[in-house]
Amino acid sequence: MGKDHLRYDGPIKVSGSAKYASDVQPDGWLYGMILRSPWPAARIRGIDLRPALSVPGIRAAVTANDPPFTVRYCGEELAAVAGLSKQACLDALRAIKVDADLLPFVVKEEAALRDTSPRVFENLPNAGQPREMQTGDVDGAFGISYKTVQGFFQTQVQLHQCLETHGNTIQVTPEEITCWASTQGIFSVRDSLADSIGMPMDKVHVISEFMGGGFGSKYGAGVEGGLAVRLSKEARLPVRLMLTRFDEALAVGNRPSSFQKVRLSASKDGTLVAYELEAFGTAGYASGGTTAGGGGGAGFPAPYIYQIPSTRVRQTTVAINAGSARAMRAPGHPQASFGMESILDEMALALGMDPVELRIKNDPSEIRRQQYKIAAERFGWNARYRSVASSEGPVKSGVGCAGATWGGGGRDSEAEVRINPDGSVEVRCGTQDLGTGTKTLIAIVAAEVFGLEPVAISASIGDTTFPPSGGSGGSTTAASVAPAVFDACQNALADLRSASGISDPTGLNWRTATARLRINPVVARGRWKEGLSSRGVGGVQMAEVEVDTETGFVRVKRIVCVQDCGLVINRLASISQINGGIILGIGFALYEERILDDQTGVVLNPNFETYKLPGAADVPEIDVILQDMPERGVIGIGEPVTIPTAAAIANAVSNAIGKRVTRLPITPPQILGLLGKLPGNPSGYKSGTS
Amino acid sequence: MDEQISRRSFFRNVSSAAIAGALAKVTAAAQSVDSLDGQKPLGPEPIKLVLQVNGSRHEVEVEPRVTLLDVLRNRLRLTGAKEVCDRATCGACTVLVNGQPVYSCMKLAVEMQAHEITTIEGLGSPTNLTPIQRALVDCDALMCGYCTPGFVMSLTALFSAKPKPTLEEIKKACSGNLCRCGTYPRIFEATQRVAEAGPS
Amino acid sequence: MQNFEYVAARSVDGAIQLSTSESRFLAGGIDLLGEMKEYITSPKRIIDIKLIPGLDQIDTSTSIWKLGANVTITEIAKNKQILTALPGLAEAASEVGSPQIRNVATLGGNLAQHSRCWYYRHRDLRCLKRGGSTCYARDGENKYHSLFSGNPCISPVVSNLAVILAALNARVNVRRGDKEIALTIGELFSDAWNNPLAHNSLLPGDLIADVEIPTQKTRSTYLQVSEKGAFDWALVSCAAAGRKTGDQLADVSVFLGAVAPIPFRVESPLLERGDLSTEAIESIAESVASKATPMAHNGYKVPIAQALIRRALARIVS
Repeated sequence: MGKDHLRYDGPIKVSGSAKYASDVQPDGWLYGMILRSPWPAARIRGIDLRPALSVPGIRAAVTANDPPFTVRYCGEELAAVAGLSKQACLDALRAIKVDADLLPFVVKEEAALRDTSPRVFENLPNAGQPREMQTGDVDGAFGISYKTVQGFFQTQVQLHQCLETHGNTIQVTPEEITCWASTQGIFSVRDSLADSIGMPMDKVHVISEFMGGGFGSKYGAGVEGGLAVRLSKEARLPVRLMLTRFDEALAVGNRPSSFQKVRLSASKDGTLVAYELEAFGTAGYASGGTTAGGGGGAGFPAPYIYQIPSTRVRQTTVAINAGSARAMRAPGHPQASFGMESILDEMALALGMDPVELRIKNDPSEIRRQQYKIAAERFGWNARYRSVASSEGPVKSGVGCAGATWGGGGRDSEAEVRINPDGSVEVRCGTQDLGTGTKTLIAIVAAEVFGLEPVAISASIGDTTFPPSGGSGGSTTAASVAPAVFDACQNALADLRSASGISDPTGLNWRTATARLRINPVVARGRWKEGLSSRGVGGVQMAEVEVDTETGFVRVKRIVCVQDCGLVINRLASISQINGGIILGIGFALYEERILDDQTGVVLNPNFETYKLPGAADVPEIDVILQDMPERGVIGIGEPVTIPTAAAIANAVSNAIGKRVTRLPITPPQILGLLGKLPGNPSGYKSGTS
Repeated sequence: MDEQISRRSFFRNVSSAAIAGALAKVTAAAQSVDSLDGQKPLGPEPIKLVLQVNGSRHEVEVEPRVTLLDVLRNRLRLTGAKEVCDRATCGACTVLVNGQPVYSCMKLAVEMQAHEITTIEGLGSPTNLTPIQRALVDCDALMCGYCTPGFVMSLTALFSAKPKPTLEEIKKACSGNLCRCGTYPRIFEATQRVAEAGPS
Repeated sequence: MQNFEYVAARSVDGAIQLSTSESRFLAGGIDLLGEMKEYITSPKRIIDIKLIPGLDQIDTSTSIWKLGANVTITEIAKNKQILTALPGLAEAASEVGSPQIRNVATLGGNLAQHSRCWYYRHRDLRCLKRGGSTCYARDGENKYHSLFSGNPCISPVVSNLAVILAALNARVNVRRGDKEIALTIGELFSDAWNNPLAHNSLLPGDLIADVEIPTQKTRSTYLQVSEKGAFDWALVSCAAAGRKTGDQLADVSVFLGAVAPIPFRVESPLLERGDLSTEAIESIAESVASKATPMAHNGYKVPIAQALIRRALARIVS
């Protein structure tokens, strides 16, 4: 525990031998493809599949819904086909005749809030019921405070952009369904498939040994899974239905946008006394809706990690004709962090206080206060922070910081351990590995209990015939699975003791003890218990950037991250998670935005050409201090590490140019606008894409 | 908005009858062309191709519009190269063509005859990894693993050209490969480790 | 993609002979196959020109170098002679796409490539350039679009090589039927300035054979700014080239990319005079602003263009 352990499945992945859902090829498999609405809003009167069925090679075609029905975003499913080749499917989709009445639509949040705009749902206003919260006496507190600052901050809709698209390879026979899924939750897939086709759950077998990324978007079988089942049933052959990259930008989730009007006040010594937030954002046409995963609307915690005595918060989720949001790595928190940490830096400037000092003064978490101190020292904060842009030449340096919080924690999970007479050990758990290292983690825990090397443990996951575990989300997998495996191993050890008569069968005694089993293995189960995991982590990041004030180009030079996660099981994998979360945060800060066109309602960038992911050239020096706190048990690390990155970068950019960044992503147009360099529009730039 | 699809039908121009008619017309045209080079147009019906992949000869019969990636994955069952974007923007489909990294999603299978194609399966195996593969594993330079074969191809080509690349050269060699899990820092570390060890 | 016939031409005459009103030439394939996968274009016949002998040569034997249309971008970026004598060309080539793209993309294809406007390339739209009635970019999301245009379409030229080759006074030799015509880069793109349907002045069936580049301009450079650090289209690019005579520079030309449907010439009497003092460079850069007609979201391209002009000129002066 707490050491570096090589990833179990490294060799099989690095040699291209790992089979993902998109690679599995059962005999006779067919290619599946979905026809999607090109219209942002339409009443579908009829879908004629007959021309598709006469395309050579096509073996099945189904509609996604029975006309008449209403589609509410570009990308909503209309029909699906299965055939002998991708080419046959492409031809078949183009042959399908759809009869549709186009309806008015709205795709911009501010427009959607207006009463005069088209409604996404005929009998509902686009703006949902606001969520309101008040504490203390906000107006009174603002009235008497020493300094007040305000701002208007915006964050964009971000896409998950898992490299392996959503989808499944599904084989339906009258007796059962086998589904190789790209998923974060094999049991959620099993349950939704069983439900969609009316089969008992134990007749649905879901397998996901390897999957190419989820980030929160892959729960349930999705509309695509349901369609694949129906196609497979009709064709009497397995169907592989994976989405295309185009589809991924439209229909399988996103992080909601945010528009945040913030006011913050403090007393003379820097204590925060009052906070007001009026915010709205979109979670698409419906958060959750007919798609799996939900997302809880566009709300987020406010005033995020700070406890301010007087607060007033009002948040509204507004519907637009766009694909529904789904939980995306730390849902709500990156938006919350950006708004809160930006206004906090405004306050630091107003008070003439160091931003780190202001945070330490107001942060209720002892862990985070310590993390700021550790980070500041590693980063060289005092040497680097200057309250005004001070570098010579057009390229200006700046620094910024931000903090995070996350729950994590464990929940019910089971595991099974089998100790064989030859000394080999197998652990089975119906959990998932998204690249998170779960398989390896299982081996480490078992190895720790049995006094063996992790390579002596065979860990199997990703199969619903294994003991159940929860979906891999909320940064809960390690905290759920580790205790369950630990418990199972303890139970197995007890059985081995009594079967072998050796009081300590671990380590050097292992072969002797297991040999005494003769022909009967030990099989024991275990379950997650309270006490081995807990909830609540912090996290602090500091960023150093360079901004070319003539071109607006931003380069992140360095990120320092101090992160806790309770008990560290595999250091190597944990730091990989941290790198990954930070790089995702850089994408949120500088490059990524799903862009809708308000004339046509289409997504303009359903590709990697103009939906820009950080590449090798965009990665800064990343310096991580991972805090191991074994006494707190396992907590989880996947999400907290992506929360404060964009906020820290935004603060650093603002520090570099001496103007407040108000919108993500931070791109050259915004920088040049803030610096007053736009022709005919000296102090700002038009809203729209950044 | 009228340039979008009309009310009455989704794809006015394309019905199965129209496809058949078009194919008939094209085939007829091919037969009447006096092709100077003695080259007869192939297709559009499936054509027999011979591809050299990982030192082996493969015969396939596919339409001209089928990409190399499609043939590798779906006909030859070489699923190491992945279909992630299908638009030459992410590198997950990278293979080596005569030793050079190329996006296999943007190559027609029919163009690829008489070329040496190397896929990830033609490099190491789980029990016999190449030095760069070993280094990637040892440095934990992979997470979900979906982008990894593409990176291995690009880095393998890099080492063929430059046994001791600098960090700048490594980043440039990787600039056509995306990783959503964010393993870049460790990919650099692994590659630098191999560079320091020298050619083997 | 729609299905098609495929044929590999073995000579330029053969390629021309094989072309029809519904055929396209296939070189690297990055642009063509991308359009076909979105059904922007669905040729009935693809004529592969990569096997035509002689089109992949780099001939530096005279003072006017000749690069065949099939020379790859990688070959241009790595060619030692080009790196020394035409550094701007090597710089422009090294910024094209990614290594995988550079390995297959060709000089001819890079010049002839079609618009990258996201309205033009969207499978479900039919914009002005595709024969529809609306340029959606004008009133829409136009952050990547032209500052200057002579027609209602504001899709900008995105070929890196076009910009530097314009500055180097290159000539493009095009086979049109039986004839061979020589076009300046300006002529190669002029139709795109006037005609919303045009990406360039090439007619269907035209085949770029080679590009001739005089080598008198001993100083050249190419710069671009993108949002990402690599593998990203230029927001604005700039090429500058001039001929060193003593400690002066003569025949200096400066072109901007991604701001107009054509490589946009920066015109100034100071440039013509060869006055490249710091003040003159400042003034040349400033002059760009007066002619620009920014859209709602692309005004930022003006200061970037000005910065690149300053930097490119400073580079070739020093």
